[in-house]
Amino acid sequence: MEELSFVGKSVPRKDGMEKATGRALYTVDMVLPGMLWGKILRSPYPHAKILNIDTSRAQRLPGVKAVITGKDTLGIKHGFVETPRYPPDQYPLAMDRVRYIGEEVAAVAAIDEYIAEEALSLIKVDYEELPAVFDPEEAMRPDAPEIHPSHPKVREPYKNIGGKTETGWGDIEKGFAESYLVREDRFEGQLRTHCYMEPQATLASYDLSGRLNVWTSSQGPFIKRAKLATTLGLPFSNVRVLKAYVGGAYGGKIDLFSHEFCASLLSIKTGRPVKIVWTRQEVFEASRHGQPIIVELKTGVKKDGTLLAQQVKVINNAGAYRGSGVVVIFLCWGFVMLSYRIPNLKYEGYSVYTNNPVRAPQRGHGAPNLRFAVDSQMDMIAEELGIDPVEIRLKNARQKGEILPNGDYVRNCGLVECIERAAEETQFKEKYAKGKRQEGQRIRRGIGMGVSSYFSGSLIYPNASAAMVKLNDDGTVSLLTGALDIGQGAETILSQIVAEELGVSMEDIRVVAADTETTPVDIGSWISGGAYVSGNAVKMAASDARRQLFEVAAKELEANPEDLIAKNREIYVKGSPGRSLSFAQAVAASIAKRRGNPIIGQGHYRTMKDVPMHPSLATTKGRWSDNYAFDAQVAEVEVDTWTGQVKLLKATTAHDCGFPINPLLVEGQIDGQVSMAQGHALWEEVLMEKGKTLTTSFLDYKIPCAKDMVESHYIDVITEKYEKDIPYRTKEVGEGYVSGMVAAIANAVYNATGVRVKTLPIYPEKILKGLKEKKDGGK
Amino acid sequence: MKKQLIELKVNGESHELAVEPQRTLLEVLREDLGLTGAKEACGTGECGACTVLINGKPILSCLTLAIEAQGKEITTIEGLAKGAELHPLQKAFIRYGAIQCGYCTSGMILNAKSILDENPKPSREEILKGLEGNLCRCTGYNKILEAIMAVSIGEE
Repeated sequence: MEELSFVGKSVPRKDGMEKATGRALYTVDMVLPGMLWGKILRSPYPHAKILNIDTSRAQRLPGVKAVITGKDTLGIKHGFVETPRYPPDQYPLAMDRVRYIGEEVAAVAAIDEYIAEEALSLIKVDYEELPAVFDPEEAMRPDAPEIHPSHPKVREPYKNIGGKTETGWGDIEKGFAESYLVREDRFEGQLRTHCYMEPQATLASYDLSGRLNVWTSSQGPFIKRAKLATTLGLPFSNVRVLKAYVGGAYGGKIDLFSHEFCASLLSIKTGRPVKIVWTRQEVFEASRHGQPIIVELKTGVKKDGTLLAQQVKVINNAGAYRGSGVVVIFLCWGFVMLSYRIPNLKYEGYSVYTNNPVRAPQRGHGAPNLRFAVDSQMDMIAEELGIDPVEIRLKNARQKGEILPNGDYVRNCGLVECIERAAEETQFKEKYAKGKRQEGQRIRRGIGMGVSSYFSGSLIYPNASAAMVKLNDDGTVSLLTGALDIGQGAETILSQIVAEELGVSMEDIRVVAADTETTPVDIGSWISGGAYVSGNAVKMAASDARRQLFEVAAKELEANPEDLIAKNREIYVKGSPGRSLSFAQAVAASIAKRRGNPIIGQGHYRTMKDVPMHPSLATTKGRWSDNYAFDAQVAEVEVDTWTGQVKLLKATTAHDCGFPINPLLVEGQIDGQVSMAQGHALWEEVLMEKGKTLTTSFLDYKIPCAKDMVESHYIDVITEKYEKDIPYRTKEVGEGYVSGMVAAIANAVYNATGVRVKTLPIYPEKILKGLKEKKDGGK
Repeated sequence: MKKQLIELKVNGESHELAVEPQRTLLEVLREDLGLTGAKEACGTGECGACTVLINGKPILSCLTLAIEAQGKEITTIEGLAKGAELHPLQKAFIRYGAIQCGYCTSGMILNAKSILDENPKPSREEILKGLEGNLCRCTGYNKILEAIMAVSIGEE
């Protein structure tokens, strides 16, 4: 096989220079002449009717240029999901009712932030408070206050059901009847939030020709354009979303947010650019957080630990609007069935409206909490059966070549190898046995394993990616891609692919990215399909450009195009490196020979290209992804049994990501996810009381800091390869590794202390309570 | 509030500015001088993204008034490279993968500089302790530590 020069190498990131020198411009840094500042007025009530809004005093304040309320909008709703079953349910600005504290009620544009802020205080809103409900199980009761009518297709007498997923296979009752052991447990994940360092920010500029330009801190411009255009009643082509650097997102900046709509509408009203930047307090209080889910899990196994049946009920506290809540209950089914074979399954998931802020995906989108439940229970079952945690996982792990219950084909799967190698490298069995023998010691060590699997791109708008590769007169190359680099390194890996295909160097490539006007459509940096879908589109475009260039070069070198090789900025004939011309010479020749027709390569890629649409969120029927990543993770912890404090000492991630396009960036993704899993498992929780957020700063909401850094080890299990010209099947690396680690930490804590914590986070007091119960029970 | 005329020395250059006394150094650097490398992520001194150096020591520019910084040497990330020649820490951050989204990077690099200026051979623990006030949500800090360690032993 031909040796690779760029793909598979730890190339430093392409935007490193701009970011290291402070020159990278983020949306918060953008300024335009004549720019106004926007501010948002939010609801102080969790549930209320809006009787009247009087903006007259605010409008009269000198320096205020526009005030908008729901009445100034077209009243077009939007939603993370917009399907016939799940139509959009949220207005970009509240119309007659508010359903959570922090919901957007009015917006102001003024000549500076202080005046905008003062104007908010002059808007008088008359509310009539309504009864509210915050807990999802209370919201499901027939006597609960109604936030939205229950979904018409949900037949149970539950209230406030935003969506339901129901699926299964086999004979669940027979499976339980044949089981040697059946366990039932309930696990609860907490409400967490993304903590992207750059707050939500948007700059919108409407020009007099009727075109709206928008810079916004996001995860992809195409979905933003679609939803902005729809809610503003503008043609798609009149809305242009442009690239700015993004200061972190992790799922929290995907679909339309009210401030993006408001900045745009205020710019349309005033004819001036309008910028809105959220304060950190606003982000904590009113932005979309992650999805807290409750998992009720009943599992039956044979005596040897083989899974026979699993019954899963997931309840998602979705907040006041549908958000991505109905997606998470679909995905949780997937995260149950991917990692282990389950012959009989019954799954039901409910997404329940409550008077809390709306939810968004957060890295892993349900997987971290779901895998916490499944893999915690797996260890409990293993212990009851007297089986080792590694053996029970190996017995049930997915293998290459299996057909998933939804029809997806597991073309490649290194899960067994991941489990084996993670166990071997960490000396899991020895340490696990030792962990159980520390009674009486104050400081105890424990080890635990979790596994996870994640999809790599699916069919949700905009479904596919395209790319263009232009060869420039001086022998440099321009890559036009709609992909947005949100820190994961999209522009770097896409450039590596271009460099590999064309045999030019990384510095020769200029990337024009994430602009709905000038770059082709892209799937977006939020569905774990970037490296696979956008990467293949770019590969096809580069390979198309090379094919065109070789036609010219072949004539110059009197050779067949198929005998040519492009490498080190040269094109030469296979077997006779002396017959060559430089890449720049070939491009110059192409301009002359093609009479000015420049070489522009085009590429396009869609996952599951013959599948018409996404799987059913209601029944899970239909293809989901054609590329699944797998991992096994091991956590090693130290627990102080006097204080209940847990320290995550070491994290080992064995992963099958297909092959790493850039090992350095893959390691960075793993480290970041281990850190997020550490926060998820041990500290992070958005605390709320009656719809009001209590944790409103980084002092209240503890994310890992440098002192908490975890020693991170990586084991690559390579199951795919990269070859020129044909599409590759690399897999995702950005979401799966937060998921195995949460369970691994919980299992390690149990190994150290004998305390099983089923609600996250694992606060010290939960461990102390467990230790006390064990002691009292032992007496 | 009435504006005051102040002089700030930033990255070796003097600037005469009329600022309202309540404005923070961060606001003046970003809005009046166009030095947007220092970032605001919390505005309340919890995250370190706004770190700049005053007389070589890291300070939180979101909690410092511009008028307090008069007569002092202010260094921002824009002043770290010498022309096209990057500071060793900037090079190491790029090379070791210590940058992802990049939003915390300016503050992180400036703080790292002050750690190394004070103690050119810090231990792992000393570096991590020194960086405690600079939050990063992308990297888990592993590659940041590697980059700073590399500079401390003379690699770039």
